[in-house]
Amino acid sequence: MVVDEIIGAARKEGRTYLTELESKQILEEAGINTTGIRLARTREEAISFSKEMGFPVVLKIVSPDVLHKTDAGGVELSLNNEDEVGKAYDRIISSIKKHEPNANIQGVSVQNMARPGTEVIIGMSKDPQFGPVLMFGLGGILVEVLKDVSFRIVPLTRRDAREMIKEIKGYPILEGYRGQEPADVAVLEEMLLKVSDFVENRPEIKELDINPIFAYSDGALAVDARVILES
Amino acid sequence: MKDIVKKLDRAFNPRSVAVVGDKMEMGYMWLRGLANFQGRVYSVQIDEKELAGIEALGVKNYFSLLDIPDEVDYVIVAVPRAAAPKIVKDCIEKKVGGVMLFTSGFAETNTEEGIRLQRVITEMAREADLNLIGPNCVGIFNPKIGLCHAIDQYSGDGGNVGFISQSGTHATFFSMVGRANGIMVSKSVSYGNAVVLDSTDYMEYLGEDEDTKIIGLYIEGVKKGRQFFSSLREIAKRKPVLIWKGGETEEGSRATASHTASLAESPLIWDALIRQCGAIKVDSLDEMLDVIKALLYAKPITGSRVGLCAMTGGQSVVIADAFAKAGLEVPLLTERSYREFASFFDIIGSSYRNPLDISSNLRSMDNIIRCIDILNDDERIDAVVLELSLVFLTRLGWLIPNFFDSLIDALTLYKERASKPFLTILISAHAESEAIEAKKKLVERGIPSFPSFERGAKALKKVAEYYRLQSL
Repeated sequence: MVVDEIIGAARKEGRTYLTELESKQILEEAGINTTGIRLARTREEAISFSKEMGFPVVLKIVSPDVLHKTDAGGVELSLNNEDEVGKAYDRIISSIKKHEPNANIQGVSVQNMARPGTEVIIGMSKDPQFGPVLMFGLGGILVEVLKDVSFRIVPLTRRDAREMIKEIKGYPILEGYRGQEPADVAVLEEMLLKVSDFVENRPEIKELDINPIFAYSDGALAVDARVILES
Repeated sequence: MKDIVKKLDRAFNPRSVAVVGDKMEMGYMWLRGLANFQGRVYSVQIDEKELAGIEALGVKNYFSLLDIPDEVDYVIVAVPRAAAPKIVKDCIEKKVGGVMLFTSGFAETNTEEGIRLQRVITEMAREADLNLIGPNCVGIFNPKIGLCHAIDQYSGDGGNVGFISQSGTHATFFSMVGRANGIMVSKSVSYGNAVVLDSTDYMEYLGEDEDTKIIGLYIEGVKKGRQFFSSLREIAKRKPVLIWKGGETEEGSRATASHTASLAESPLIWDALIRQCGAIKVDSLDEMLDVIKALLYAKPITGSRVGLCAMTGGQSVVIADAFAKAGLEVPLLTERSYREFASFFDIIGSSYRNPLDISSNLRSMDNIIRCIDILNDDERIDAVVLELSLVFLTRLGWLIPNFFDSLIDALTLYKERASKPFLTILISAHAESEAIEAKKKLVERGIPSFPSFERGAKALKKVAEYYRLQSL
């Protein structure tokens, strides 16, 4: 079991925060589509993975000690060829060594650069009274400023998933407001149900955040994810 | 029989009740409240000064629960808190069906002694599997068998609505205000600090109770959140469940702590939970009763489009505003309906677009009924609402004797044949005392009435949302 291995490894290192790589591997196990992600331990691996996955790609630092990857210069976007990937790899490693000299660097993740879509988020946190609760909302400014989110308690039924998506005020955006690409709501429902199933069977997970998810008219992709374990 | 029914049946349907510690100072409230009880009543009191008063009520007193030469199904305890552990111990030894502690002064006081005593009785009861209700509550009300909190509650007639309340006042008010609105209690329980039995247990019990068709809850906090959630989800599929959550604000939660020692909980999560379970959230006793009234006395609504009939022009504007603001639709009618209106409706000073203003048509009882018949038959309409304006109906009574009573007769017949839910809004204006009489007549006929457009609109919206969720 990949999930057990990942959780076991983190436990062994005394970590409750999983890296983006680990979080996404866990999501893939739960049946959720993510931007493809592979761990490159060398510059050469980064280049060969990029070629296999297809350009453009994104490189991100993988280190349990770097919580704010962008601030530390650990993220490079829109890399279109081998040369750009190689240089980006070098920039990331030197920037991290400068910002976080003591960080344990596991490598650099190579991910497909996802085509922009409507940003949504799915989160799970635990209520002291009612246990795991799922949150759904539109991503970015709408969730932060307007708190336009809905909640349901795990386990969710299909009706719950459908209602919690329709409940947010920004729902018309998902339907394709003013010619924007509509979101495949059925896929988002499915994603909520998969997260619900997964966290129900994994009480050792304390928090889970998939932010953002890019929603398209023909699917959805988890672009960034974070999992926190119970201590 | 389900386990929970087996467990709580003796407490909810006792054949014998003992009151421990009732006294003159309280006007023998508990013993007098059992005046119409259909089983055997005993008193336990050790204070010699109280014995004459208790005997005068025709109740046999004992010095200990253990001395009673009979099985005791339900015990009401009103002793000072220091004596509570002793009484709980006796209840365990006596193997009673349930014990309710009116006694307060426990964890809700946030004092060392209160917390200690609460822990003592909780541990004793849990270990012995004693059905301890409370403490700090008024316990069970079962009107059918005359088990009452006080003599001013009704007995004999049992209803079909169960009520579970963390507050004694809300339980008592629910029964009394409810009755004035045609809502009668099957069984209710006030349960205070909920140290052993909690809302979930009572909800599961009333969920199985055949006399209970609708369940209302007033909750300040729950103890077993996961079980509450799964039970509510299951029960709300079978019976409407309404939840009124106390202490939703930071200020209110300060009071729940000292009232029933309940912790603050997130209102967002509660809202989500209630909706998810298909239960109905209400924010006050009035709203609780309004929604229950609409559930009990109006046919199920299958959409959200209302036909509104006001008695004057200004009211036709604000009734439409109120229902639209509540989230219901007030659509234009079909051409067929408009043709029918055109055939008889006096439009000088009136209007029938929807909302209707029927002021010029009020003098003909037939025309009033014809208007709401057309609304009922219109395929664009899911529910019909009629304003009953006491001021204008009273003035009509000067011209046409017994106008109001005849109108109620006609509305009773209308309600019977109407295929869609029908609600009335009884606008009393200044005539508040007359409104009491008028409302009573409507209650007797089973015609649901609400005292303002806003309350009627909100209740109908909640009921529409309930049926919508049920149908998914």
